Parts: sequence; C-alpha cells; structure tokens
Amino acid sequence: MVRDADVHDSGGIDRRGLLKAVGGTAVAAALAGCSSLLEGDGEDGPGQADGTVTDEPIEAGMLTFTRGAAGVLGIQAQRGAELAVQRINDVGGIAGRREITLEVVDEGDSPLDSYNQFIEEGKDVTFGPISSGTHAQIAPEVESNEVVNVGTDGTVTTLYEETVPDPTYSFRFQNYDVMECVTMAREAVARLGADSIETVAGVNPGYTFGEDEMAVFTRAIQKLTGAEVVYEGFPELGASDMSNHITSVNDEEPDVTFTSLWGGDVTTFLRQASANDMFDNTTVVGSILYSAAGDVPGDAIEGTELYSGSRNFYWDHPRTGNWQPGRELFEAAQDQDGVSIPNAHYMSGYGAVTAWATAVEKAIDLLGSYPSQEQIATVLEGHGFFTPAGYHVMAEDHQGMSNAVAGQMVYDEDLGGARLEDVNIYSPSETAPSPGTTASDWLDSWSG
Amino acid sequence: MSPGLVDRDGETHVRVTSGLVLSKRRFAGLIAGVLFLFAVPDLVRVAQALDISFFQLGVIHRGLVFGFAAVGLNLLLRHTELVSFGHAAFFGTGAYTAAVAAVYLDVTGLLVLLLLATALGTVMAGVIGALSLRHTGLYFALLTLAFGQLLYAIALGQSALGGSDGMPVRPGEANEPLLFGQALGDAYGVVTYYITAVVVLVGLLVMWRIINSPFRYALDAIGQDRTRAEFIGLPVRRYVWTAFVISGVYGGVAGGLFAVFRRYVTPDGTLYFLQSGDILYMAILGGFKTLLGPLVGGVVLIVLEFVGRSVTPYFEFLTGTVLLILVFGFPEGIVGSLGEGGVFRRAVGQTRHGVASLREDPSVAGDWGRRIGRGLRQQIDESLTTLRVVLFGVS
Amino acid sequence: MASGLETLVVQTLNGLQFGFVLFLVASGLTVILGILDVLNLAHGELFAFGAYASVGIFGYVTGAIAAPVSGGIGTTIVFVIGILAAIVVTGLVLIPVGVVLESVFLRPIYERDQVYQLVLTFALLLIIIDVTKFVWGDVPIRTNSVYSGINQIPTSELLGITFPTYNVFAIVLGAVVVVGLFYFFARTKTGRIVRATAINREMATAIGVSTDRVFTLVFALGAFLAGIAGAVRVPPTAATLEMGTNPLVLSFVVIVIGGLGSLRGAFVGAVVVGVLRSWMISFYPPGEIAAPFAIMAVILLVKPEGLFGTWGETA
Repeated sequence: MVRDADVHDSGGIDRRGLLKAVGGTAVAAALAGCSSLLEGDGEDGPGQADGTVTDEPIEAGMLTFTRGAAGVLGIQAQRGAELAVQRINDVGGIAGRREITLEVVDEGDSPLDSYNQFIEEGKDVTFGPISSGTHAQIAPEVESNEVVNVGTDGTVTTLYEETVPDPTYSFRFQNYDVMECVTMAREAVARLGADSIETVAGVNPGYTFGEDEMAVFTRAIQKLTGAEVVYEGFPELGASDMSNHITSVNDEEPDVTFTSLWGGDVTTFLRQASANDMFDNTTVVGSILYSAAGDVPGDAIEGTELYSGSRNFYWDHPRTGNWQPGRELFEAAQDQDGVSIPNAHYMSGYGAVTAWATAVEKAIDLLGSYPSQEQIATVLEGHGFFTPAGYHVMAEDHQGMSNAVAGQMVYDEDLGGARLEDVNIYSPSETAPSPGTTASDWLDSWSG
Repeated sequence: MSPGLVDRDGETHVRVTSGLVLSKRRFAGLIAGVLFLFAVPDLVRVAQALDISFFQLGVIHRGLVFGFAAVGLNLLLRHTELVSFGHAAFFGTGAYTAAVAAVYLDVTGLLVLLLLATALGTVMAGVIGALSLRHTGLYFALLTLAFGQLLYAIALGQSALGGSDGMPVRPGEANEPLLFGQALGDAYGVVTYYITAVVVLVGLLVMWRIINSPFRYALDAIGQDRTRAEFIGLPVRRYVWTAFVISGVYGGVAGGLFAVFRRYVTPDGTLYFLQSGDILYMAILGGFKTLLGPLVGGVVLIVLEFVGRSVTPYFEFLTGTVLLILVFGFPEGIVGSLGEGGVFRRAVGQTRHGVASLREDPSVAGDWGRRIGRGLRQQIDESLTTLRVVLFGVS
Repeated sequence: MASGLETLVVQTLNGLQFGFVLFLVASGLTVILGILDVLNLAHGELFAFGAYASVGIFGYVTGAIAAPVSGGIGTTIVFVIGILAAIVVTGLVLIPVGVVLESVFLRPIYERDQVYQLVLTFALLLIIIDVTKFVWGDVPIRTNSVYSGINQIPTSELLGITFPTYNVFAIVLGAVVVVGLFYFFARTKTGRIVRATAINREMATAIGVSTDRVFTLVFALGAFLAGIAGAVRVPPTAATLEMGTNPLVLSFVVIVIGGLGSLRGAFVGAVVVGVLRSWMISFYPPGEIAAPFAIMAVILLVKPEGLFGTWGETA
C-alpha cells in the first residue's frame, strides 16, 4: 500500500525519454495522456506507417449497456472507449494511418446475437462486455472465432479459471471481483485496524455478481481479521426499498458492512441507510460505491465514515492539479454526453482500447506490417502500457494487472458529486494471485 | 397406404402419409416451405455476401425455436381457449435440464441432452398443469404466469444453477455437445439448425395429426362449453390436462434445442415472464387459428426485435405498435390474414370496390370524410362525458 | 445492540409500508380484473408513469415550500401538506391517462377473445415504457429534498425506535387510502353502483347503469391509485424505467393469494406479502425473491380460490 502523499512528480525526464517510456509510439503517447509530447514532433516515431500498412479503417465493435439501470455504468465505458478511439484517430490512427471506427451495441438483449453480428460484419476487434453472464457466454465464442476481444468490466474470477481456462484471444482489462473485494478487505483493515473488526455484514445486489463479491470479501476479511459474518442481505437489482436490509444491519451493529451495490442502487441505499441511522452503527466499505459519484445524496453521506474502491482508476489520483494526463482526461470526459464524473467504468473502456491499440502498434513495430489476430494476441500477453490511470500489464493469464484505488467517499459541493479523499493504493500483488494460481488457492494460502 | 396421387372430389390430391392428403397447390406449398426451411443457412450466406448482415442464422434459429414452443401453446389456445401466460416455464425447464445434464452429469450427447430436456419439460408440464387447470380464463393465465415466475425465482436464487449469470452448455473435451460422438466444430451452428429444422417438421406433423384427430374435437367442445362437454360424458379434466402436457412437451423440446444451439442458458432468456408473453404473442402474431402461424410469428417477432433494436432506441414502441395494429387490424395474424377469407384478401376486395365507386361518383369521397369526422366527434364527446362522470361521479 | 423485539417491530413496519404500496397497485389491478374482466399488464407502467410524473410535481412543491429545517410546527405542517398535495395531484394526472386507455383502446375489444386483451395491454405496456423514456429520458430521475425533509420531523424517536418518518408518513397515507377506498365502495352511491356491476352486469344494465361509464371509472380509479403509489415510492429512491415490472408481478401474487377481484383479499394479500417478505429478509435473506411465490404456492394448495372469494357482495 502506498499513501497518496508518497507519490511524487517524476520530473526531469526529457520528452524522448518519456515517449520511449510510454511505449514509444504516437498512439501510445496520446493514450497515456501525454499529448504534449507530440506537439511539433515532425519526425516519425517507431510504429509510424512504413508503407506496408494500408489506410483502410479498422472496424471495432463494443458490447456495453447503453440503457436501463446498467446503462449508468455502460455509458461510462462507452465514452471512455470513444475518447481513446478519438485520441488514436487524432494522431492519424493506428500506425498513423488506420483510423478506428467504433460501433457500440447494447448488451442488454441477446448479446450473443449482437456479438455474432460483429463477427459477421468482419470486425477487427471487439471490446466489452460489462456483465459476467454475457462474458461467460461470449468468451468461448471469442476463442472459436479467433478475433481478439478485450473485456472492459471486471466480471468474475471464474472466467479464466473455469469458463475459458486457457484463453488465446480473450483478454480482460479491468480489475475483477477478487481484486476489488480483496482491496476492500485490506482497506477496511487499513482504516479500522484488524483488531477492531470482529463482526462483518453485507448488503449486496441480489444476483450472481453480488453473491460472488460477498463471498470473496468474506474469505479475505476472515483471513485478515478472523471476523464473523453476522448478516448477509441481497436486495434485488433496482430495489426501491432496502429498509429491511438496513434494519437487519442496525440490529447486528457489525464493525464493517460490505457492499457491492452500484449505480442507482447506491443512491437508494445511502439515502435509506442515512434515514435509518445506519452509519451510527457500522462502517461501510463498498467495492464500487463510487460508480454513483455523480448521483450521491450529499446530505445522506455528510459526516459518515464511508470507504469506496474504484478498481484501477480514480480521476483525481494523482491530484489533477499537478497530473496533466488525469486533468486532460477529466476535462475531456466533462465534454462528453452522460459522463459527469469519469469512474472506473470509464477507464475500463478507455483501457481496453488502449491495451489493444498499443499492442497492435508494438506488433507493427516488430513485424513491419499489420499483424494477424494471432500475432496481436501473442503480443498482448505480457504487454505493458500506460493510461492516465498509470501503468498496466496484461498478464500472461490474460488478466489486466493494475494498481487498485480506495479512499474515503465524501461529498464535494463544487464538483456536484462525490470524491475520494485520503486515497490508498494497492499493488496487484496485494490484490490478485499471480498467473497460474487460482484465486481460491491464493486466498487459502494466506496465513490466517 | 403408401404415398402417391389419389383422386378426391374429382381433383387430384397428393397423399403424403396416411391421413395427410393435400390438394396439389397445398402440396406444392408444403414442398416449397420445407425446401425454404432447409435452405435458410445458404440464404443467410448469400445475404452476408451482399452485406445484409441482420439476417443471421442464429437469430432465425432462435425465432424457429421459440415459434416451436408457440406451436405447442397454440394447442391450448386454439382448441381449449385456455391462455397460458407461463409457457416459458417449460421452455426454461428444458433449457436448464440440458445445462444441468451437461455441467453436472457430463452428458455430451446432443440428442441425449434433447431427450432429457423433453422428459423434464413434460414432467413440469404435468405438475403445473395439475395445479393450474383447476381454474379457467384469466385466473388460469395468472396461475401459469405465477408458476413461471416461481421457477424463474428459483433459477435466479440458486448459485448451483448459475444464478442470474446462467449456465454454459459446453460439456466435455470438445467444449460443446457431440453428435454421435463427433465434435461439430465450425459446422456447429449450421448442423444444429438442421437438427432444429427436422425436429420442427416432425413436431408440426405430429401436431397436424393431433388436430385432425377426435381428440381435437373433444378439446373444441370443451373450449366452447365445459359444462356441456362434461354432460356428454367427456373426461374434461383428463383431456385438458393431456392437452396441457402435450403443449408443454413442445416447450420442453424447444428449450432443449435452445440450450443446445446457444450453448448457454440464462434465467432472463428462458424463464422470465416476458418470454412467456413473447411465446403467446408469437402465436397471435402468426395467427393462432392456424397450424403454421405460431412458427411464422416466432421467426417474424424475433427478427423484428433484432432488427428493430439496431434501428431505433424506441424499439419497444415499435413492437407495441405492431401488436396494436395486430389486435385492431389483423386479429387473424399473418398466416390467418393471408389465407382464404382473411383480412388481407377482404381488404384487397374492399379497396377495389372503393376505387371503383370513387371512379363512378367522386362525391363519395366527401361522404367518407363526413363519416370519419362524425365518428371522431362521437368518440371525443363520449370521452368528455366519461371524464366528467369519473371526476364528479355518476349522476 | 438493538433488542430483538425492536428489530421485529421495525421489520414489521417496513413490511407494512411495502405492503401498502403494493396494495395501491394491486387493488386497482384486482378491481379492474373483477369488473372489466381484463388483466391489465400495463398497470405496472401506470405506477412507473406516476413515479416519473411525481418527480416534477415534487420539484415544483419543494421549490415553493422550504423543507422544515428549523423544525417549526407551522413550516412542518405546510411542508407535509404540500407533499400530500403533490401526491394527490400525481394521482389526478393519471386519471385522464386511464380514461383514454380504457375508452380508446380497451373498450372496442371487450367482446373479443380474452387473449386479445393480453396482447393489447402488453402492447400498451411497451408503448408506455417508451413514451416515458421519450419524455423523461433513459437515466433514473430523483427528487431530493422530499425524503430528507419529511425525515427531519421527529416521530419514531418518540417511541425509541429507529424508523424513518417518511415511512411512517407512507404507512399513514396508505391506511387513509385503504379506509377511503373501502368507504367509497361501501357507502357512496357510485361505489355501490360499481359493486352492483361486479355482482351482476346484466342486472345493473337493466336498472339503468351505464356499464361503459362504470368501466371507465374503475379503470381511472386504478390508474389514480397506481399514480399515488408511484409518487409515494419515489422520494426514498428514484423513478426508473424498469420499476413497473416488479410491482406488477407481485400484484399478481397478491391477487392469487387474496382471491380474484377481491378488494379485501388484495389488502390482506398485500400486507401478508409485504410483512412475510420483510421477515424473510431479516431471518432468511436468500429467500427474498422466491418468498412471495412460495406463499402463493402454499395458498394455492390449501385454498385454491384465494383467501377471499370473489368481490362484490361485501366491500
């Protein structure tokens, strides 16, 4: 864990050095948010067109939720991907000549058909989806269609442990459930101290994702503190009334209450929890409470002790005041439709596109021509790249590895939404097993 | 009796099997239909070559499978006048049976999965039928809906069944069901489509036999008047239950086919009450007074939905409007309206008649306008009166 | 730690509160079913439509009247009256909607096969969803100061339990509507005419009752109640496009439990579903979603016609 204050500006590196550091190409620099590196740079960097790459546009497809309750998250992912695509096209496209066109389709109804249509339309790459159910459906199809897919959202550990145990073409950028739940277990310990956590409760969305998250959090917190689970509630997705669950938490007064509620449910939960004085009885830690940042009721969380994770990205870390890539991303997001405050889902779309685009440029650099799907997939394994959220590695098990963010969620009048204060950073080695070890074995291996 | 040509009412008819004798025209239609059914994968390939990408084999396949469930539902709807709003229960039972067998029992045989799905779908139909057939009319519809939702809640709540994420149907080494021990690989989509096509044909043939048997007339009698049917000695309960189970079998088979060809099942995609609604609307859309209507309705509704979604964000409005037009304009559905005496033919006749009278005496146009105006005024008057009554009470 | 008794009381109150909202939806649905013989699948969307409409109306009211921050009795009363008015106005807005739906769409098909009603009301469900989406957009909308404003009034603290005042408000409001509804059907002339129509349509027509008007009245009443329910439900949460489905499906359960078309049955059914669901969440959380259906299954096995027979004879 690294405290926010420990992160200093790097300073003193020249432009060429930085260009090299972010992966060496114009696309990589643009995506890292270092567009200033490119200004006035007349000379071709590596990966620029050398005549063997056509200027035919690259067709990309993206599955995400564009409407309904999950649209709150899906539209963030879409806008993130769109910004990344725009930044690539602003520097001339992949290899300076192949611009990307991104087609976005809602994954709400029959996503398998929508995915197949992408393939039949001859998409060069697909991004998404958001939901773990969709991911489990399409990942085997990705493998048999042999077209690279970079998943955006976290979804579940079982994807690369059971559904597609040895993936070739399926990758995932964002932190998955084990990573975010272990982050929150560590965060709870960091804030309260292991000794003062004896009882925990959970209020999680009543579907597979919520049950998974609670199960992982429980295992992690029990290893770290030996705490006992006193209540587990699972309100339905979009439940209008959570007072029953809140009353149950009040009854038990657990030291920590874990929640993986997201989007609109967070607002309902916080509002009703506040009305029922729940914050007097427990400390709430949530894996993605911050997904509702723009919609958090300020009066409800005032004076509460509320901690939220935000997967691998919090827009104001490092502080945008002296971190230009972050500031530019935030400002660009503000100009987009439907994004008031960019969150981890925004980065999931942005990062998925970045992972793929930088890998393709690396492959072009190595091969001197546009790579095949197989070559892209090979390069993506172990591929490292920058986004404004920092450095990421696509590990050899096809899971993106990034630092995880968590902090105290407070309301900010000027921002018109929530921000995270006093941010803690957790490295991948603290939140995820190394490739080859299952999450379950890894958690078991912790000394209790 | 062997197939061949026979003479009936002075016309040459074609005997397909015993009992199935068609006029030449209908026989030609049948042949064309069967050929078309089997040509779909090739037609889709042609469409793709022409960049018409929304004609997807998977989408049409899904339409056929749901339409097949609607063919089953139609037995109840058409003859016993019972409206089932819970047919997804059997569809979902079939689908989940295949998934559970693949995941937990490691059943790899595609046909075995289908058989198991059919068996459990049938059992479920037997149980739900026994419980909900105590009632008729809307109460029956409500009960079937509620049982369907109960199954949905169970699938959603059991993590062993994958919860909301659902379950894969990818057993064994090949990661997919096998046909006679063979992995189908790239041909999986097309081969499973042909299997569905064969099952659909056989299912239609069986249904055709049923609705041309005495059993069907007994059901009709029950549908028209239960009490009278009881008085003439029909075992009403047993007959209706049997019809319910048969219709459930079609749902179970369809669910099994769905699970096998999609290789994945979800509660929302197979058990949710809106799926029950869809199956019902397919029957109405295609024409529930016909044998083929529900199947046609299935394909049309699914393709319409798929295309509609990519065209407009207000696609529910589109489907809703289609259903409204159906209720008020084409109550016989697509196949029913195209048939003899259907709305379509009558409308053609009326338009012809209208155009003729307009040509004879152009002043009729004014009459039509006045008639429409009067109708509208009457409607508005009535609405205003009603609003007054509602607000100030019946005086 | 809070005492077990207090938790039981609070959970029961939570269930009651949920039950009342459910009753407001289910009562309209069951009366429409009993009298018009129509299963209105679009009823949940009327609830959602009411929720959306109420956000604007609440916004207008809270813009005009300040929330009782300081806790003065006068401002508190004005605020509560303002909120009540907003809820009633929302219900009134739904009346013309109901009238149009009934007289334009439903009336022409009463004589047709029942299956067409299901197609028609489902078509209306789809259309209302998209009209709502067109008018208010795809993202959830909320009203901010109503919930916190009402909660600033101390009520349950007086009894020493933790229970938001807004929920007290919702329960009281629900109870008033229940009493009003039973009074309407038992004591007023219009109500008796409606009941007479439910018992014997031919006889009612013979003594000069216009069934057309009764039908419209009943449908509009259902829409009014659904609108009120939507308005009551919004402040603690938000208006969303999906919110109509759950109350609709639960209302089916309530109707099966209470008995087709029975108002009293709907009341008992709604409270039973609300309270049992509430206890379930506390004592056996995994059963939350399945609980109402399990109750329904038990009732079906024990008393297939529902707890109360067909409505009409008594209110």
